[in-house]
Amino acid sequence: MNDQSNDMPNLGITDHLGRRDLIKVGAGVGLTALMAAPMPSWAASEKPIKIGMVDPITSIFAALGHSEIKGAKFAEEEINKKGGIMGRPLQLLVEDGAGNPGTTVTKAQRLVTRDKVDFLMGTVNSASSLALSQYAARQNKLFLCTGGHVDSVTGASCSWNTFRTCSTTWMLTSGDFETLFKKFGKKWYFITTDYAFGESEQADYTKQLKAAGGTVVGGALAPVGTTDFSSYLIDVKAKKPDVLCLLLAGDDQVNCMKQIAQFGIDKKIAVGGALMELELLQALPEAARYGWWTMEWYWNQPKTPHVAEFVSAYKAKYKGQYPSARSWFGYASVHAIKLAVEKAKSTDTIKVVRAMEGLVLPPEIALQPGAPEYRAADHQLILSMFPGHAIPTGKYPNLFDVSAIVPGSQLALPASATGCKMKYPA
Amino acid sequence: MVLLLFNAFNGLIQGAFYALMALGLALILGLNATINFAHGAFMALAAYFAFTIFPYTGFWGALIIAPLLAAGVGFVVETTMVRRLYTRKDPIYTLLLTFGLALILQDMIRTIWGAQGQPLAIPAMLNHPLSNTYFFVTGYRLFVVGVALVSTGALFAVLRFSRIGIRIRAGNSDLETIAALGVNIYLLRTINFMIGILFAGVAGILAAGQLGLNPNMGDSLIMPAFVAIVVGGVGSLLGSLLGGLIIGLASGIVTTFAPAASEVVIYVIMGVMLVVRPRGLLGQEGLFE
Repeated sequence: MNDQSNDMPNLGITDHLGRRDLIKVGAGVGLTALMAAPMPSWAASEKPIKIGMVDPITSIFAALGHSEIKGAKFAEEEINKKGGIMGRPLQLLVEDGAGNPGTTVTKAQRLVTRDKVDFLMGTVNSASSLALSQYAARQNKLFLCTGGHVDSVTGASCSWNTFRTCSTTWMLTSGDFETLFKKFGKKWYFITTDYAFGESEQADYTKQLKAAGGTVVGGALAPVGTTDFSSYLIDVKAKKPDVLCLLLAGDDQVNCMKQIAQFGIDKKIAVGGALMELELLQALPEAARYGWWTMEWYWNQPKTPHVAEFVSAYKAKYKGQYPSARSWFGYASVHAIKLAVEKAKSTDTIKVVRAMEGLVLPPEIALQPGAPEYRAADHQLILSMFPGHAIPTGKYPNLFDVSAIVPGSQLALPASATGCKMKYPA
Repeated sequence: MVLLLFNAFNGLIQGAFYALMALGLALILGLNATINFAHGAFMALAAYFAFTIFPYTGFWGALIIAPLLAAGVGFVVETTMVRRLYTRKDPIYTLLLTFGLALILQDMIRTIWGAQGQPLAIPAMLNHPLSNTYFFVTGYRLFVVGVALVSTGALFAVLRFSRIGIRIRAGNSDLETIAALGVNIYLLRTINFMIGILFAGVAGILAAGQLGLNPNMGDSLIMPAFVAIVVGGVGSLLGSLLGGLIIGLASGIVTTFAPAASEVVIYVIMGVMLVVRPRGLLGQEGLFE
């Protein structure tokens, strides 16, 4: 992730070489570095517009963080090739938040004070999103949350400076609730990750389940990093639910799905849940790839314009890797900031915030049917959802079958019901 | 009541797995006097080796070859790094070394194989429950217990009957004397370290079959292994075995009443043990006292 890996001459060579040789080597290295650097097409006096991105490069959220960063870098390159933002180059600075709220804020601090970034974006897990949202508000910076789903980011804890590209847990759960309920039954059991994201998902499903006349027969909160799910699964078997709803995150979801398959539970009870990611399906062997889930974006959209071009360009840049929903979050977020700056004709925080309110992503950025918009009232992007089921025998990247693309406006709570009361600084 | 029995039995299965992980760690802690924080990273490394050679060797071949490859890496690590710190009495040096090594190995895995998890499939014959009632006794878990029993048995046989094993045990109790008797203790320690990593490798591959294969997999596995050692007694391999079974059983029983506490309980047991009997169940007198 470090782009400044200029080869330094080994200092040990001074023992054997004279001063002149050292200078030659040094000059040579310097020259090569110059040649290798992309030739900027703008005047040297143009100050870059800087976006600071804090995303997990390590920790259990690393796989998702890496995808978001790849998507964001792809957008950075695309924008700079076409002349930057208002004639100024765009610079993306990436730091590792390690999925930890404290580290995330420390790294954001560094980006703001040392690198003087104009905007902040990133985060995968909800706890980090909430922490960074608060920090950015104090620093008077716009924060575009790429991947933390908890409702409160654009709900009860919404903030004038914070926008969100990924969906809310409410949208995730309502994306496939009907399918699971109608297809498989009324008695549900939850295995939920024990932090904000999972609890928010479970609350949202429970609300919809009760309204539809179903019952929750059991539930267990599993701490992040749980390796052995056997004890939870024994309880599942005893309670005999119709639907086993998995609300875990990252690697935990993979662990649990593999064990469910080994216990043979997926053969008797319908397994499903809210969020599924291409990165997770990739990590599952055939026998453990099952269930009904919701994706927030999928690469295979034969009927949507621009998607095929995006996918093939992304694949060319990243050695055959397909873009995931996370890649799209990073990509769309960088472009959204660009569009908002151009609309505001300024990088001033409050002006860009006002420009982003109601901003509609154009088709070549949205890469989905409809016109997703950053809703002015709560700053939530109203994106489509892609419910469907995993393909057990599929080969990468054909791992998921999208049954329908549901417009976000049908799924999202109305802004008045999210609990968001936006307060702007005087 | 049935649920309690189920969970207790299930806990024992899990305990056998903890014990397998703890054995390698205990070996290295004994003769190499090194608290190997990189043990989890070696587990992950072996599992990734297995994933890579899987297409050529199949699961069974990988289960044998990959731990050997990891032991090869262990050889390099011991001879180039760990060995240099034996003369320093303070354990903090090896602790820091292996802690740093764990981070480096983990990031190396991320660089080579990517940050996203990889699918490591297990043979279909192991991938299903054996009985409808005792469904938690899956083919794979029974296999894990079997491997744990066989490898533990083999280890104890080696330590008891082979020349090298007898020397390892002798070195554990008095390194200076066996050095004076002409045993090459550097070689002995290298071999011991490699056996420890071999065990880490086997445990890592078995874990990857049951859980996911990802760069962080060692993080969550290494703590129960440490706890098993502390409970069972530092310096006693039999103790580590017992420690693993006890914490597995305890966490199984607690699950019946409070699932959320099933992880905490093993640390509570460790805490109580450290207060009441710091040397652990079968630990040598004097250690930690």
